[in-house]
Amino acid sequence: MKTTILKVACIALAVCLSGCATREYTTVAMAQPGDDALTCGEIQKQMADNEAVEAQHRKADKDVEAGNIAKGVGSAIPYAGILIAASTDLSNEEQAKARALADRNERLAALAKQKNCPQ
Amino acid sequence: MTMMKTGARLAALALLAGLGACATAADPGAMTVSATPQTAAAPAAPFPVALQHAMCVRNVTGGEETNPMWVSKVDDNGFKTALSGSLDSAGLSAPAGGNCAFPVDVNLLGLSQPSFGFDMTVTSHVNYKVYDASGQPYVLATIDAPYTAKMGDAFLGVERLKLANEGSIRTSIEMFFDKLRAGPSK
Repeated sequence: MKTTILKVACIALAVCLSGCATREYTTVAMAQPGDDALTCGEIQKQMADNEAVEAQHRKADKDVEAGNIAKGVGSAIPYAGILIAASTDLSNEEQAKARALADRNERLAALAKQKNCPQ
Repeated sequence: MTMMKTGARLAALALLAGLGACATAADPGAMTVSATPQTAAAPAAPFPVALQHAMCVRNVTGGEETNPMWVSKVDDNGFKTALSGSLDSAGLSAPAGGNCAFPVDVNLLGLSQPSFGFDMTVTSHVNYKVYDASGQPYVLATIDAPYTAKMGDAFLGVERLKLANEGSIRTSIEMFFDKLRAGPSK
């Protein structure tokens, strides 16, 4: 009986720990191959698309932050608190992706200016 | 049974000790890249002549202050100190009060950190923007740099996470230097 409980606890811990690992993701590169060949229309479209996606990431980032605050409060619960704290999302994924898109748009805006694209 | 209870208590105490330690910010010295040793087997490529003694760090944004009750972070000043020190070591810094022909702006997009674990991997996501004297981009680099701090490096989780942060930024600066060695890219 004890052995079974121990095994179940180990499996639960392993599952929890795997969920706590660093989340792998990539961000949009500021400068991309083929940038110089973009037309004004293509630049404008990319910028509009990026703005829309950036707004989604900013909103998701706020949700993650709110969730983390709740988990911080929940971590005070005896025993279960440790698991709650361990589920905190420290990946900064939404924030990093939003900031990367803002930088990408800064780059595209500079390209548009260089090409004398209409505002 | 008594032994099991004692073991459980010790484990709980060890966990509390790990969780209870205060977090401290990443140490700029530990994030600084020292001069690359020149070896016959793998000589480091030189930096373009134009960059030598001509660079400076202008702005660093996106860093976060460390809350001692939370986890270790990397702040703007710490990153700026580390990058400036690395440029110094590489012979890239413009002389104090001299002409900085290639200013560098840095945007720390985010640090991807684990919340718990034995071996802790942190990946830093950083944008480096180097401009030339005319204000045109010289190098625009987006760098994702992972670094793992192992259980043997530090017993306490907060300390291990700090080591992983520092290692990740150091790796990021090394990768940035590789981009500089390759010459202009934008």
